[in-house]
Amino acid sequence: MRSNIRPIFVIVILSLFLSEPARASDFLFYKEVNAIGGYSNKKEWIGKTDELSNTVGFEHYGKLSSDHGDFLTTDLQMRFAYDSSEDSTDAWSVEIHNAWVEYRASPELKIKGGHFEPAFGLEPVVDAHSTILQTLAMSDIGFTRDWGAELRGSLPAFDYQAAFQIGSGMSIRREDSSFLVTVRIGTPQTEDLRYGLSTLVGNVLETSGMSTFPKNHLLSKETVFKERVGFDMQYSWQSFLFKGETAYGINDNDNVIGYLTEVDYMAPKSQNWSVETQLQSWFNDMKLPQEDDTTFSICLSYKLSQAVTIRAALTYDLNIFSSGPGRDTRALLQFYYYGK
Amino acid sequence: MGNDMFKFIRIFLLLLFCLAAIFCRVAFAAVGCELNDPDRDINKAFPQSTGYKTDFVTIAEKGGEKLKVEIEEKLGDKFDALYESLDVPYTYYTILKGKDILGYMHGVNQKGLYGGMQLIISTDPKGKIILFYYQKLSSQEAKEFRERSFTDQFTSLTLEDFLKSNEPGSRISNIKDPSKNSHEDFRYTLRGLKKNMILLNEFILKGKKDENKK
Repeated sequence: MRSNIRPIFVIVILSLFLSEPARASDFLFYKEVNAIGGYSNKKEWIGKTDELSNTVGFEHYGKLSSDHGDFLTTDLQMRFAYDSSEDSTDAWSVEIHNAWVEYRASPELKIKGGHFEPAFGLEPVVDAHSTILQTLAMSDIGFTRDWGAELRGSLPAFDYQAAFQIGSGMSIRREDSSFLVTVRIGTPQTEDLRYGLSTLVGNVLETSGMSTFPKNHLLSKETVFKERVGFDMQYSWQSFLFKGETAYGINDNDNVIGYLTEVDYMAPKSQNWSVETQLQSWFNDMKLPQEDDTTFSICLSYKLSQAVTIRAALTYDLNIFSSGPGRDTRALLQFYYYGK
Repeated sequence: MGNDMFKFIRIFLLLLFCLAAIFCRVAFAAVGCELNDPDRDINKAFPQSTGYKTDFVTIAEKGGEKLKVEIEEKLGDKFDALYESLDVPYTYYTILKGKDILGYMHGVNQKGLYGGMQLIISTDPKGKIILFYYQKLSSQEAKEFRERSFTDQFTSLTLEDFLKSNEPGSRISNIKDPSKNSHEDFRYTLRGLKKNMILLNEFILKGKKDENKK
């Protein structure tokens, strides 16, 4: 089936390019370095989180236009990662985060293809690609990016996006008829109060690791059937940004639920400093509340310049329905560069 | 634990070395101000538009330190290292109806009293303001600043009006601060808009004038 899809996909992309005589292009090229490490009372010295590892990479963001204006946007964000916990032969990997082209048919319809965020929750509307504090996506879906196609657009009262993806996350693979369909309808991102409703259905592969090449670890060849409804919101007020999201649904036969609340604050007098606090909780089976995954995190950020940010975070495993061993407290330090 | 710690320190040193190598070339680089939702935002100012073209411009590419000094002289103030480095890419939207240019839209980041503000203007092809609004504003009196009765006072102003803003009786000096206790944010708004108009002239309008002369 895959061999049938590939030529069709190439023809569609080529026809999009050729349908408008390209006159000009403009692009931004950013270099990126992420150094992260810390100490965990369970794992001792750590050199990565679920989403971030020590990486060097780049992002190329481009616009192609004709005499009638822009018609194609492209984005490629790649990271070359080193995982100090792996053997030297397995330590190096390539992570493809964003890899997409988007054709602008009209303001009401844009067609995207490649690797990008599922249209569910906060993940498609916040930029968390470098931050220690993440959205609910990893606990909820299992990944923050997936391969596929998307339709999106701006209508007078709201924005919509509908993504059709292969349910595999970072690496390109299809097992057990995996797929992921997500739909989000939300208020415009131009408002101080922004919120959205999302829904999701799919057979999703469970993987671990952020590697695209070589493929990340497949935990099972059998997919998990997932259904979700979700609600997310953001509110900007003075020096504060409030974020929240919640999702409810099923994983195979288990009811699942999760939520996230976050408050970000920028110091008015010294705007290089900001502090973020987050409470995130996920229940993989509502009948077994003691198996929840609940963490409270506090992160202090200092912007050395617009390109360089230093972050220090403390993540405390609350695991509110159980007591005793198993709790993990982590202290993390991040050095992040993103500049031209 | 000892081996892990050494491995960890080695990685950190390697990455810091990479950072140092980058900093030798670029001391400060930055992310600029883009429209949050270009299709929706452009429609507010130019409902008759059929498309737009996006260009990214930096002071570093257009003239570097020399141009920065010229802009600072016109602005009457020094650039802020955090918000206004030479590598900040400014995003310009040329608004089209068919192939004809209806005008331009452009935003700048400006330091405010309680955080950054993003000031967006749209102009006609000659640089006369059609619409001004705040894309982001972290002020205690944000509501007052966002009132159309305040923002509409900038409609039809040109760069010349901003350059004469200190002269008594000028159009800018007649604009009243809408806030009670946030005069700093009013001052920052005027500074940011003046910078926006200077950059539009340097990056876009000057080039168009030169093209027309040829």
